[in-house]
Amino acid sequence: MSENGTLLSVENLSTYFFTEEGLVKAVQDVSFCIKKGKTFALVGESGCGKSITALSVMRLIPIPPGKIVSGKIILEKQNLLKCAEKKMRAIRGNSIAMIFQEPMTSLNPVFTIGSQIVEAIQLHQKKSFEQAREDAIQMLRKVGISDPQRRIDEYPHQMSGGMRQRVMIAMAISCKPQLLIADEPTTALDVTIQAQILDLLDDLQRQDGMSILLITHDLGVVAERADDVGVMYASRIVEMASGRELFAGPLHPYTQGLLKARPTLGYQGKRLAIIEGTVPNPLKFPSGCKFHPRCYLGCKDKRCQNLEPQLRQVLPGRFAACWYVPGYETAQEKAEYESSYGPKQ
Amino acid sequence: MINMTDKKAEQKNWGVSYGQMVKNEFMKNKLNIISLFFIIVLFLLAIFAPFIANDKPYVIRIEGKLSFPLFSSLTANDYVILLAACIGLCQLLLMRRNQRTIEPTMRGHVLRRQLSINAAIFIICSVMLYIFIPSKLDATDYKGMISSNRASDAVFAPIPYGYARTDLRKREQPPSREHWLGTDDVGSDVLCRLIYGSRISLSVGFVAVGISSLIGIIIGAVLGYFGGKVDFIGMRFIEIMMAIPVFFLIITIVAYWERSLFNIMVIIGLTTWTGDARFIRAEFFKLRNQDFIQAAVSLGLPIRSILFRHMLPNGIAPVLVNATFGVAGAIFIEAALSFLGFGVAPPTPSWGQMLSLGVSTTGRFLWWLTLFPGLAIFVTVLAYNLVGEGLRDAVDPRLRKAA
Repeated sequence: MSENGTLLSVENLSTYFFTEEGLVKAVQDVSFCIKKGKTFALVGESGCGKSITALSVMRLIPIPPGKIVSGKIILEKQNLLKCAEKKMRAIRGNSIAMIFQEPMTSLNPVFTIGSQIVEAIQLHQKKSFEQAREDAIQMLRKVGISDPQRRIDEYPHQMSGGMRQRVMIAMAISCKPQLLIADEPTTALDVTIQAQILDLLDDLQRQDGMSILLITHDLGVVAERADDVGVMYASRIVEMASGRELFAGPLHPYTQGLLKARPTLGYQGKRLAIIEGTVPNPLKFPSGCKFHPRCYLGCKDKRCQNLEPQLRQVLPGRFAACWYVPGYETAQEKAEYESSYGPKQ
Repeated sequence: MINMTDKKAEQKNWGVSYGQMVKNEFMKNKLNIISLFFIIVLFLLAIFAPFIANDKPYVIRIEGKLSFPLFSSLTANDYVILLAACIGLCQLLLMRRNQRTIEPTMRGHVLRRQLSINAAIFIICSVMLYIFIPSKLDATDYKGMISSNRASDAVFAPIPYGYARTDLRKREQPPSREHWLGTDDVGSDVLCRLIYGSRISLSVGFVAVGISSLIGIIIGAVLGYFGGKVDFIGMRFIEIMMAIPVFFLIITIVAYWERSLFNIMVIIGLTTWTGDARFIRAEFFKLRNQDFIQAAVSLGLPIRSILFRHMLPNGIAPVLVNATFGVAGAIFIEAALSFLGFGVAPPTPSWGQMLSLGVSTTGRFLWWLTLFPGLAIFVTVLAYNLVGEGLRDAVDPRLRKAA
């Protein structure tokens, strides 16, 4: 899938957790690529494996119980899964940086925000303390913190949630990473701050030309900002396309359901559409297509119940994993299906 | 009204670091202040012992010539202790100044620089002191010289007796104007020996706890951070260590090797770290899943920085509290060892050893030899325990609210 202009490509990534209750396949066979200077959004419900995918890219999965069982994560011709831990430490923070979803707890309470930024700059850019401090003030100014000269000496508990998230962003971008992973950067913030933070990320992306892996469950955020979108459901990517195409015409029944369930302006008086059922328990995924018990198309289909569809290209630039998407099944598969289950309804 | 007090509290908290908050909380309790004051006095006594109790005069005129026997008889040890006190005081003053003049972000950086400079000065100077100051014994009887009119104009220390000076004519005398707390079985002044004994107690307490905290923190940090198999094996090792009766181990070891203060300190340090290790392990278990640790890892910081710069300050509180209790415990162990005759060798004074003199030598019960050293041990251990307790309440906000 990799091509020119690709910064990071993830190929067939699978991350499992070997817990006491059993095997949790948190991420299965996930592939996507992020282009230079573009935003790739990973969307899905809670627990569908978005965050684990991001942590796998950073190699931050707790081992044990977690393990990356297969796949490749290639950042500029370098397979991160084969890097030694020491090399990985040089990549973290320097080439890939991450923003976490909970700004209230993501800053160390015993340090001033300045010393946390300065440490990262000193480490990766080998600068003197005074220089690093100047850089840190620059960064704070860049993320829109007023009076950074004074703010740099404050402790995290003296700041609001939005401010802390800005500090987190300043920390993450302080070493000019090529890829910024934003794991639900706005979930814990209120709506006006959300917009500010997202605008800030946009600005920074335009200035520095970095790529962003945006992880969110907020479709509104995705619609506005993502160049490419991957929709995850129960550990797999079920649909992947450019943002515009995906929102104009979703192919997978799950994506269709998600988009229907969104409230829109002027939508009054009626109940919102829902997707029936609940997210499956990761210890006991349904057989076949994991979405089939909730799917309006496949719930009675024998093949959907037994055979899991893989992500395939169905149209130029559009990928889906559903037997019902037009152009998905090959002629041979269609013939096999009809011979075992009778003609398609 | 409520709003106003809230605002006041907030303003007070503006820019206040965690350490300052703990200090303020600690200082609210009178008992804590008294205990701390007592410990500071004890420290001053230990540091300035040669100036407070000494059989050599500050100044004396012998055959028309002025001399300063007290100062010239100071050993390299005394000088090193004084030097350490001076540098420690400088560091404290510097830290106070840092709080006022240096912005919090710079503080850690500046503090590290100051600490390393001061430590370097201390090490270089003490090595030079040990090399250049000869250990000489000045056995001149200055008091005799005065009474036989060979010397005059003498100024003595407040307690004009040396801890090693014996006077067999004045054995086992009860407290009098001459000897405020009486004399022991070889005629040495009890008060003088008590003051020098505080040096032994304090150094045992601090060195032993320093060693045990260092070992405990490192082992606990590794176990807590890595968990899994490392933790399992480490914890079994800790359980084995805890099963060893420390006191009898020390008696055995001291019986085989020489009776030296150094041995006692090291053995206490090497055997009592299990508590610290368990505290730190528990704290690190809690901390390693915190978002800010994940964030630190995701910034690519080296493991040393994550363990000891980012996690340790968040989990050090129980160890600090434990260390205070540990000092009390180490003083107690040393006193008990000396009482049994396994402690430091005479004539070096130690409280436990003095205590044992009160009952053992002649079969008579010499109350002043039991009461005063006993009181010294009791009050010192009590003060450390009170400070430990105060510190525990100050660092734990939940206890604070309940109280």
